[in-house]
Amino acid sequence: MSEAPETPSAAAAVPHLALKATALLVLMVVLLCGSALYVMYARGVFEPTQRLVLIAENSEGVVAGMDLTFSGFPIGRVRRVELGAEGNARILIDVPREDAHWLRTSSVFTLVRSLVGGTNLRAFSGILTDPPLPDGAVRTVLGGDTAAEVPKLIGAARDLLQNLNTLTATGSPLSESLGSVQALADKLKGPGGALGVLLGNDAERQKVLLTLDRTNALLARLDGLTAKTDAQLFGNAGVMPEARATVVELRGLLGDARASIKKVDAVLQEAQAVGANARVATTDLGALRSEVDTSLRKVEQLINEVNRKWPFARETEFKLP
Amino acid sequence: MRGICEFGAPIIAAMRPPSVPQPLPPTARATPAQRFVDWWRVVHFGAELLTLALSPATYGRRFRPALARHVYLDTAPNLLWFTVLSALISLVLIRIVVVTAYSYGLSQFAIQMVVRVLVLELIPTTAALFVALRCTIPRGAEIAHMRSTRQALPGEPVLDEVLPRVVAGIFAVWTLVAVSCVVALVGAYLVVYGFAIGGLAVYTRTVGQVFSPEVSMIFVLKTLFLSLAVGLIPMAWAWTGPWRRGSDAGRELQVLVRLFIVVLLIEVVSLMGNYY
Repeated sequence: MSEAPETPSAAAAVPHLALKATALLVLMVVLLCGSALYVMYARGVFEPTQRLVLIAENSEGVVAGMDLTFSGFPIGRVRRVELGAEGNARILIDVPREDAHWLRTSSVFTLVRSLVGGTNLRAFSGILTDPPLPDGAVRTVLGGDTAAEVPKLIGAARDLLQNLNTLTATGSPLSESLGSVQALADKLKGPGGALGVLLGNDAERQKVLLTLDRTNALLARLDGLTAKTDAQLFGNAGVMPEARATVVELRGLLGDARASIKKVDAVLQEAQAVGANARVATTDLGALRSEVDTSLRKVEQLINEVNRKWPFARETEFKLP
Repeated sequence: MRGICEFGAPIIAAMRPPSVPQPLPPTARATPAQRFVDWWRVVHFGAELLTLALSPATYGRRFRPALARHVYLDTAPNLLWFTVLSALISLVLIRIVVVTAYSYGLSQFAIQMVVRVLVLELIPTTAALFVALRCTIPRGAEIAHMRSTRQALPGEPVLDEVLPRVVAGIFAVWTLVAVSCVVALVGAYLVVYGFAIGGLAVYTRTVGQVFSPEVSMIFVLKTLFLSLAVGLIPMAWAWTGPWRRGSDAGRELQVLVRLFIVVLLIEVVSLMGNYY
């Protein structure tokens, strides 16, 4: 640097300098304008959108620019987060029109805060045939705060450990129960065994044993009695063969009775035919009687007519003075 | 700007060539008051240069050849090298970040981290320092040498020699930042998704999430102030700085240290704006 540095003006002339400088200028302008347009496009400036307002208890973790996802795909951007009149957080989301059909009136929105990573806004549409969500719709977002669940989990775990400590402490009911079980096991292993544990003392245990012996003797006698009964019932000269022969005879008697009943049935059919004839005859008698009545009524009218016209008819009227 | 166009008396005092070089101070170490006065001169002259740079008369027909020459010579030779180096370093960093994020199950944050680390933070600062080391500090040394030897000072030295170098430095920073950011964004996409275009929508959405209006504004302001610092400070120090004892290399090192402090302050302020 002790020597005079060569200045650009002293350097050799650059061919097509103006053209190259203009090309550089155009390159820079194109890059800057292209970058600006790309960022604006990436921010969704050129997309027609509709507004969705989500109401949350608090806006922790929600920042402008974060996505609203549906099935893992971003379909909206948070534009602004503001404090509502009722103290709730109002999350204003712009949903592009082309993606708005995924949101229905029955859609559910969740705000999930994970331990590691950012907060996620998710939309779930169970019934895609419902009417689409209108512009400016206000929905309540459901919270799924993992961090908020940790204190509850720790509290529950602390209660559980405290209960375990209480259960396993010296003199606790569980410890005493285990001691009783140990004593019971010792008794079971003793000469009295389980029967002694159940009855409590040897006298009762002896009574039970005596009862068992007597029961065994009774069962032996019952066994002999059963053998004799079997012989009486099912032996060659027992009750059962005779009963079988009786049943055969009864079957023959029942066949005879069935034949007699058939004959009676035929007689009854004939009697029924007679009755039907009698009913028809009775019907004809009624017609005949009505004809006789008619004839008699006509004869009576004829006689009355003859009497009225007959010159020697008696004066049957009395004329009072 | 009428005085500039008519080549009459300069409208600002600093445009006059120093008739008498400033005497060397008795000691090489400056007092805080002297440092403050030096910085004030630099800031004042930088503001005047900026005013000239924003004047349409500065880009008149008479000044265009020098302007075009400096713009081309300060940008074109550096553009290819810086783009290649930036792409290589970016690919290494992107790979490290993506693999680490995948190994921890945080792949959804890999792209955001890459864009924030590279595009927002590293590339603008690196480009500014690269332009400073390759262009503006050597150009400032040229100005200082011309000033010390009273070479090429007649006429309008600020408009003819100083301002084209300032505009060229600012232009070089913007061009290198723009090209390198585009290369880094493309490289990040290729590392994460390969040559498939299926991830373009998700990638674009993620980039859009990073470039919120606030972050975009801070990014533009940071690049603007870095380019102004890199373009103005070396020239202003060369034109207004005291001629103290020491070699040319020592003076360049002093300018580099001061410029580095300013770049560091801009970076800190931008980090505070982005993350606090």
